[in-house]
This record gives sequence, C-alpha cells and structure tokens, in this order.
Amino acid sequence: MKTFRFMFILLSVMSIGLFSACGSDAETITETVEVIKEVEVEKPSTLQTVINRGTLKCGVNDNLTGFGVLTAAGTFEGFDVDYCKAVAAAILGDASKVEYVPLTASARFEALGAGEIDLLIRNTTWTASRDRDLANDFTATTFYDGQGMMVYADSGYQTIEDMDGATVCVLQGTTTELNLDDRFTSAGLNYTPLTFETNDPLQAAFEEKRCDGWTTDKSGLASKRAEFPDSAGGPAALTVLAETLSKEPLGPLTRDNDSEFYDVVQWVVFGLIQAEESGITSGNVAAMAANPSDPGMARLLGVPFSGGEVADFQFGVDPKFIQNAIAAVGNYGEIYERHLTPLGLTRSGSLNAQWTDGGLIYAPPFR
Amino acid sequence: MNSIVDKLYVLSRSQKFRNLIIQFIFLIFVGLFVYYLISKALQLDITLGHFVSRAGFGISHTFIVDYTSNDSRWFAYFTGVVNTIRMCIVGIILATILGTIMGVARLSKNILFSTISYLYVEILRNTPLLIQIIFWQIVFLQLPRISEAITFKDTVVISNRGILLPYASSTENGYGNLWIGIILIAIIASLFLSFYINKREDIHGKVIKLYNFKLSGNIIGLIIFFTIASISFFILQKPYDIDLPSLYQNDKGTYLQSGGFEFTPEFGAILFALVMYTGTFITEIVRGSIQSLPKGQTEAALAIGLSNYQTMTLIILPQALRSIIPPLTNQYLNLTKNSSLSVVIAYPELFMVSRTIMNNSGHALPVFFLILVTYLSLSLVISIVMNILNRRVTRIGA
Repeated sequence: MKTFRFMFILLSVMSIGLFSACGSDAETITETVEVIKEVEVEKPSTLQTVINRGTLKCGVNDNLTGFGVLTAAGTFEGFDVDYCKAVAAAILGDASKVEYVPLTASARFEALGAGEIDLLIRNTTWTASRDRDLANDFTATTFYDGQGMMVYADSGYQTIEDMDGATVCVLQGTTTELNLDDRFTSAGLNYTPLTFETNDPLQAAFEEKRCDGWTTDKSGLASKRAEFPDSAGGPAALTVLAETLSKEPLGPLTRDNDSEFYDVVQWVVFGLIQAEESGITSGNVAAMAANPSDPGMARLLGVPFSGGEVADFQFGVDPKFIQNAIAAVGNYGEIYERHLTPLGLTRSGSLNAQWTDGGLIYAPPFR
Repeated sequence: MNSIVDKLYVLSRSQKFRNLIIQFIFLIFVGLFVYYLISKALQLDITLGHFVSRAGFGISHTFIVDYTSNDSRWFAYFTGVVNTIRMCIVGIILATILGTIMGVARLSKNILFSTISYLYVEILRNTPLLIQIIFWQIVFLQLPRISEAITFKDTVVISNRGILLPYASSTENGYGNLWIGIILIAIIASLFLSFYINKREDIHGKVIKLYNFKLSGNIIGLIIFFTIASISFFILQKPYDIDLPSLYQNDKGTYLQSGGFEFTPEFGAILFALVMYTGTFITEIVRGSIQSLPKGQTEAALAIGLSNYQTMTLIILPQALRSIIPPLTNQYLNLTKNSSLSVVIAYPELFMVSRTIMNNSGHALPVFFLILVTYLSLSLVISIVMNILNRRVTRIGA
C-alpha cells in the first residue's frame, strides 16, 4: 500500500516533469506533491471508515508487560490494549472488534500517518514536535509516566544523591541520556553511563551487576522489574526510586484534522475517568443505567433520567457509547488495577491518582 | 504529409530507434528521480552548525581526552573517534600476532597445534561477528561482581566493572600536556641522533668512546631521552603522578571502584571478538602465503643446518611477507569497519556517539555524512600506511 502510494507520487512527479515546458522546475514538483497531499487528506472521516469496516485498527506494543503484550495464547493484553477495546465498544458496540497491529517505536508514527492504523495507543509520550511536526493529535493523557531509576534493593540507594560514583545502564533514546546527565551533573555527582542500543545486552549487564542503576521510563522499569528472572533475585531484589527525572505523559493519538474520530476517542478516555469518579464499574453499570441516580450519570450513560429525553451530544455514534465502553473494560480505576497494580506501580500518591485524591486524573464535565 | 507519416512508421519499426527512445525516457526518469532526492535533501538542514552546542550526555570510556557533558558535540564526536582508533590500533596489532602464530601452527607437523589452529579457524570464521561480540560480553560479565572483587593491595582491582591497573595521572599544576609534548620531541630527537651515530659508525667507522667503553647510537639515544624526560619532569614540578586504583565502600555500604587504568568488559568483549574473528582470516592468509613458496626453500634451509625456528623466521616468513601484505590490508580495513558493531554492547565508539547526537539533534543526514567521511579517512590512512610498507617489502631483495 505504502509502496504503491510512493510509486504513484513518483510517477506523477515524473510525468509532470516530462510534460511541463521547463521539465525539472523545482516549484512544479513541490506543487505537485502538495496537490497529491491535499487530495489524500480529503478522505471520509476515520470514524465513518471504522463504522463501515466494522473493525478498529489499533496500533499497540506487543512487548511491554502491563501496557501491551502478546500473550502465549495469542491475545493482546494490557492497559493500552484495554483502551483499544473501549473505543471499539464505544463505536461498534463490541469490544472484540479490534484488529491489533503491533508496532515498533520507530515505525509507529509512519503507520498512523499512512493510514495503516486508525488509532495509536502504544505508550507514546505527548510532545510538541510529535503533536505538530509529525501531524498527530494527542487525545488525552491516560498515564503520567516519567523517567525513573531502578537499583538493587540491597544497595541501600534511596535517592539519586546517594549514587555518587555509580555506573548507570541506559537505553539510547531521544532524551533519556540527556535527562540522566542533567540530573547527575546539576547535583555535582560523578557517574558512568553505559549506553546500550537494545534491551537484551543491557539486561544481561544489569543482572551481573555491571551497573548500579537502570534508567528508563518508570512504566518500563516496572514492567522489567515484574519479569526480572528469579535466577537473578526476582522482582523483590529491585526497587524503583521515588524520584522522577522527566515528564512523559502517555495517551492515545489520532491523525491531524480528524475531529469526529478524535472527539470520540478523547471522550471515551474522559468517560472512563468520569465513571470512576461517579462510582460506576463494569459490575454495576447495567443496574446504574436502568436506574440512574442523578441527571449527570444519565447523560454519561446515554439513558433517560426519570422518563425524560436522552441527551445526545452528536458524537456520531450510539449515545450509549460510554456505557458500552464501561461494560467492556470497566472504569479507569479498574483498568489500572487490572494491568498496572500487579507491576508494582502504586497508584495512590502518584500523579495517576484521581484529582480528588491529589492526582492529575481529571475529566471535563460531560454535559 | 503522407511521406512524413511513412517515415515515422519506418522509424518506429526500427529496433535501434526504439531502443534509443526507451533509453532516453529511462534516462529522463532517472535524472528527475535524482533531482527530486537532491532537492528534498536540500530542504533539510544539512549543515553541522548544531555541533557547536553543548553535548549534554555522558560517555563511559574517555581515553586520553577529558570529555565532560559540558563540552561541545564536536568534542563528544572526537572522543568517539579516539575510542575507535584506540580499538583499531590494539585490535590490528593483536590480530596480526594471533593470525601469524595460528597460520604457522596450521602447517605444523605437530598434530595438536595444527588441529587447534584448524578448529579455531573453522569455528570462529563461520559464526557471525555480532553473535561473537555478545558472547564475549557475557563471558567478561562472569568476572567477579564488585562486591566480591579481587584486589592486590590497592594496585590491581579485578571485577566485572573492569580490571583496574596503576596508571599515570596528570597532577593539578596543568603542565601535563606540555610534558607529553616534550617527551614526544625527546623521542624523535633521540631516534634521529641514534640513527645518525649508528650510520656514522657503519659507514665511516667512527666510534664514540668513554673510558674504553664503546657507546653505540642506541645507548646514546636512550641516555639523551631519559635525561630530557627526567629533567623536564622535575622542572615542571612533577606534572604526573602514579594513579592507584581503589575499591571502596560508600556510606550506604555499596562497593565502588575508581582510579587507575581501566580495562572494561565492553572494551574487552569488542577487542576479543574483533581479534579472534579477524585473526582467522589472517591465519588463512599466512598459511596460503607460506604454502605458495617453493618447498625447496624449506628443504635448502634445513639442509644448511638451520633449525626449524630459524628456517621459519629467517627464510620462510620474510619471503611470505610479500604476498601477505596486500590481503592483510583488506583484513585491517574490515576490522576497522567492523568496530562499528560495538554499538550493541555499550562501547562508545564513533558510530554510537554519533547516533546519540543524531537522536538529540534530529539532523540525521549530515551526521551520517560525517560518519562516512570519518570511516573513509581511517580506511585511507590504513591503506596508505600498508602501501608504503608493501613498497618497502617488495623492493628489498628484488
């Protein structure tokens, strides 16, 4: 598909070059490319495409325990995967109608831009350049991550300040090495960074205590800690320090200029957060929908309140879409409890607690 | 009118004309494609202006250069280049020694030696280098962990964080680099002097004597060198000190090590993998060159009473050297280029440092160009040196 499109552009450019008087005028070429780009943008909205197709193509991680992982049984599981299910349940009424596309970190944005997937939920950090320059739209933050430091529990390290003279294993990334260096040099601490290109040699070195610390996103550390082999001491041998070295808000993203679909995804995220706040769970959602306790809950679930009208906000999907999503995967707290608590990512006291508990998990009003 | 149509028809039936047209159209398409690529590339920032900005990341192995994260990206890149050159020089020397020994052993009448050499070549030549690098990394990580590190009275520390040896370190007074410069000049000067005195003795028979004791050029050179080195050392208020490695516990009770010359498992793994792998090819080159010599050379040497060792070092190897050097150059170039595989196990050579710079700056194209130019320059230097050597070897006795 991609190759075909590339060939199409190439051939168009070449034929324009052939037929125009001055053959190889740079402006003509650029204009042609722009024309082709514009033609491509004028497609039916992704929401309509998904409804027509009957399945949602969701780009996920297949190798990060807790967020997105391909299990031995051949199914996808995880925090991000549950959001794919929630969006499918909201739009199509069936959480199983998701086509998962496992993606690498480097291929993910191109896959979304080229239309190979409808929605990207692959522990992706919201940054300005990705939002604007790479032509994506981030919907909302589902998990507030940040770079952390994992050490051996018996080392006695409690804070970064304790780690003067330590060796730190770090994965080559866009900002990981920079954040690490900023933190150590600004505190006047000596350290040796061992920068690896891939995870496996890094883990081998860490297991043999070649380095004192291992730094990457906290979610990644929690996942690596949970599956730390027993031969090297198991998860209990490791602790993740409380300090966070950088801001990494993760969330689902769609293509630019795709408002209908973008809004549905965004409000599914908000709806699940609001559901937790209102005390609606996958267990009691049917009972609540049959007999909503207040008008706000009735609006959220898309049901009439004491014989009134159903509030339809013209999302282009069934007004009960949030209710369907809750029934499929549960509220935000349930999803977190199911996938991230087992990794040791404590919710209370972190940024991912509800706003009423001092966290940042907050949804705008559903009215 | 009709005749033009007829002529066109005739032309269109001509195989030669049709080929010409097809080739012409193809050429235009290729030209436009190249033009498109270049015009796209020109839209990107292809300058290296961002290299003057602060690097902001740490590098684990800094040899000779004193890099900190406050230095510029140029300096970070330079540190990577130094690490690559260090790896290549040590690797080339060791691979040559190993390959020569194994190549001679391969032809030994002793079955043990020839079998060892045979197995060495067949096993290591036929497995991928990347796998070997990771294998050696795991082997080196099996050294004692730092909490069980072996130390010899603060002179040597052995752990899987690295083997630390006593080393010289420049003291606070800042004359360290000046002294290194003086040392280099002293080496060159004494080499020239000893060469001159030896030549004078050879040609004119003039000998310098001190109380009936003949002073050869070599001795005078050494004396001059040590005199300059030690006098300047004290004049510059001892710019270098002995740096002893140490193993210590911090206030949390965790073991750390520092100081001295550090031989890390990463450097070791890459070095072993490159030397062992390249060594197999050199073994085969040495074996082939020896076998290409007429058998009469060995027989004649043995007939005039030379020992096996003398036959090999005085008769066979010097002759074999002529056909060894050109293919050897290829192996040296391979070793240099293969050193870029270090990136997988955290040895910060130039490719790895450049990748970090690329990640941080987002300008991949010019950095890649710089990497290519650097590897090209390294390869050309090796080629030039080997060509000079080759010319010398082929001229002698020709």
